[in-house]
Amino acid sequence: MSNKSDELGEKLLEIFCSMKLGLVLLGIIALVSGIGTLIPQQSMDPNGAQAVAEIWRNLGFTSVYSSPWFHLLLGLLCINLLVCSVQRFKRFYKLTFAPEPPKESSNIPKKINAVISGSDGEALRQKTQESLKKKGFRITQLEKEGKWNFIAQKHGMGNWGPFTIHIAFVILVLGALTGSLSGFSGYIMADAGREVSIRDISIEKGQVKENFMLKINSVEDRILPNGERDNWYTNLSIIESGEEVQRDTISVNHPLTYKGMTFYQTSYVPGAEFTVDMMGKKFPVTLQSRGGNYFNAPGTNLYLVLAEIKGDPQKPVIFYQVFDESSQVKMGQLTPGQSENIQDTYTVTFDKTIGFTGLQVKSDPGVGVVWLGCGLLMIGLILAFYWRPVRISGSLDLTEPILTLGAYSGKYNMGIKKEFDKVVDELKA
Amino acid sequence: MSGSLQNWEVSVFYVMFGAYLGSSVLYWLWEAIKKDAFRQLATLAAIVGLTANTTAIALRWIISQRPPLTSGYEFILVFCWGIVINYMFVKFRYKLNALGSFVIPVPVLLLGFIIMAMGPSERVASAIQPALKSQWLTIHVFTAILAYGAFAVSFGLSIMYILKTLSNQSTDKNTKENWINRFPHESVLDELAYKMVGFAFPMLTLCIITGAIWANYAWGTYWSWDPKETWSLITWIIYAAYLHARLMYGWKGRRAAWMAILGFAIVLFTFFGVNYLLPGLHSYA
Repeated sequence: MSNKSDELGEKLLEIFCSMKLGLVLLGIIALVSGIGTLIPQQSMDPNGAQAVAEIWRNLGFTSVYSSPWFHLLLGLLCINLLVCSVQRFKRFYKLTFAPEPPKESSNIPKKINAVISGSDGEALRQKTQESLKKKGFRITQLEKEGKWNFIAQKHGMGNWGPFTIHIAFVILVLGALTGSLSGFSGYIMADAGREVSIRDISIEKGQVKENFMLKINSVEDRILPNGERDNWYTNLSIIESGEEVQRDTISVNHPLTYKGMTFYQTSYVPGAEFTVDMMGKKFPVTLQSRGGNYFNAPGTNLYLVLAEIKGDPQKPVIFYQVFDESSQVKMGQLTPGQSENIQDTYTVTFDKTIGFTGLQVKSDPGVGVVWLGCGLLMIGLILAFYWRPVRISGSLDLTEPILTLGAYSGKYNMGIKKEFDKVVDELKA
Repeated sequence: MSGSLQNWEVSVFYVMFGAYLGSSVLYWLWEAIKKDAFRQLATLAAIVGLTANTTAIALRWIISQRPPLTSGYEFILVFCWGIVINYMFVKFRYKLNALGSFVIPVPVLLLGFIIMAMGPSERVASAIQPALKSQWLTIHVFTAILAYGAFAVSFGLSIMYILKTLSNQSTDKNTKENWINRFPHESVLDELAYKMVGFAFPMLTLCIITGAIWANYAWGTYWSWDPKETWSLITWIIYAAYLHARLMYGWKGRRAAWMAILGFAIVLFTFFGVNYLLPGLHSYA
């Protein structure tokens, strides 16, 4: 029984160590990701996703990237990368920090190889050492039975490239997973002067644990003199226990972070401010253009909507609509200061145009881990592709004296050959 | 002033297109006729094209007062520049003239797409949305053009490799010497193609990472599985598979060449296919 389970364990380890599994998983992930861009996804196109045949919806093809089997594929790939990396750690360590000189001259690589003869064994050894050291090689040597064997290595840290890349990939996936399992995201659409409790924002995912107030001090859609939009700006304050603890202006690409929560300027909606006079009682109402929100007069079934704002910013004209539960009951236009009686229930006066700021609020504890993964990934790639190790081994018969040299060819035969030829030319000179 | 600059930009665009087209034709003539004068003229035309390409980018930069990296038209301009600059490097570094016959037609086709499919409104400098006003965008696109340019060169080298090996098979059957025989040895083509991918892959990774950093600043999310992001990840996976398969399974030669060709086809799909067939956040470029 024990033997059987040992065999099974070994077999599993063998499978997870195989690069073939990694490549197959990468291929499946690429294929499935591609399918996800062709089939409407619930997160991006909910209506399109609903139109997809039920069987595909049930199989998760309309939410590919959040489906359990997609996460399983990523998980399997991470295990594969981890097992491969752990298994190869010793080899990379040995290659970098404890390279072994060849025991026999027959162990010297033959594909890129040269034989140099000299008149004095000791002088040739010294010349070889000096030449290699000058070129940045580190030499590990062994002398026995009148033979001097060595291995010289340059850019040894390059051996760690693949290991770093694979570990970085696992860290990256772990960071993404942390972000998707914890943290939250929400949305605020508010006009200037509005104070919102962070617990009252529209939550898209997760829960808000903090408790503070957010005050929108000003909202600006800044247009440059040439007519181009500069950016949307929101000046906001963080208020804790009635005290302003932070105040900043944010814009697209310039967010604000407070207590692990980041506020991003994501949109801007023009709107208008009205004064409603209802049975002698006056109160302000703010509405977003294109029906972003509505005003339901208390105790009535009338809904006032701001359809559009037109005209010069200095002389704006607003178009409004009034609905009951089933249909439109009134529509019209107003200029600043103009009033209109709505179904003999209340009077609305258009005061001025205003702006509504759209803020995305996010807390992602995994994002730092993701950036760590990205940084390591780049370091790994630089080591693997721009810092390639060059290893030359050799054996010198001190009595004859004949030096046999060979370079280990890896990814770039041509580049290594060039480097090797330079060494050989110098030794022959 | 801006109006006359725009007229210059249009003229320079057609000089660039004409020069790249002329260069391609001259390279083909050189392959067919073997007269060195054609090769020299082809190189000269490519240099004229690259100069006009650089000028077109500079003029657009001056007109729009921002790096010209924000529309489909602007991206094709810098994409062509990336391809030709990578080509020039390989051509002069490795004395690989025949590569021009396979690489220079790529910018000709890309610019031909602008002429055939893009209306004047898509070509002029226009206002950009606030999200695009970021330094990260410049690094993001710059790394993309270097990566895509190098992938285009590896594509050209891989086609040369396949033609060379096919030709070798037929010379075994005593066919006469042809223009393909003047290509460098297939192992040189194979290794150079690998070298180009080895340069481009970290660039593509940096492109994806800087894109993620920028998206995180702009939208508060570093990855949203937008079709462009997803297809750039697929491109990354294809080239990662190319590198692994080559290293671990010795998939050198013809298999590697076909993978590099497939990789570049996906690069082109990531740009054209995604922009024109699949909607998403990257709808501007």
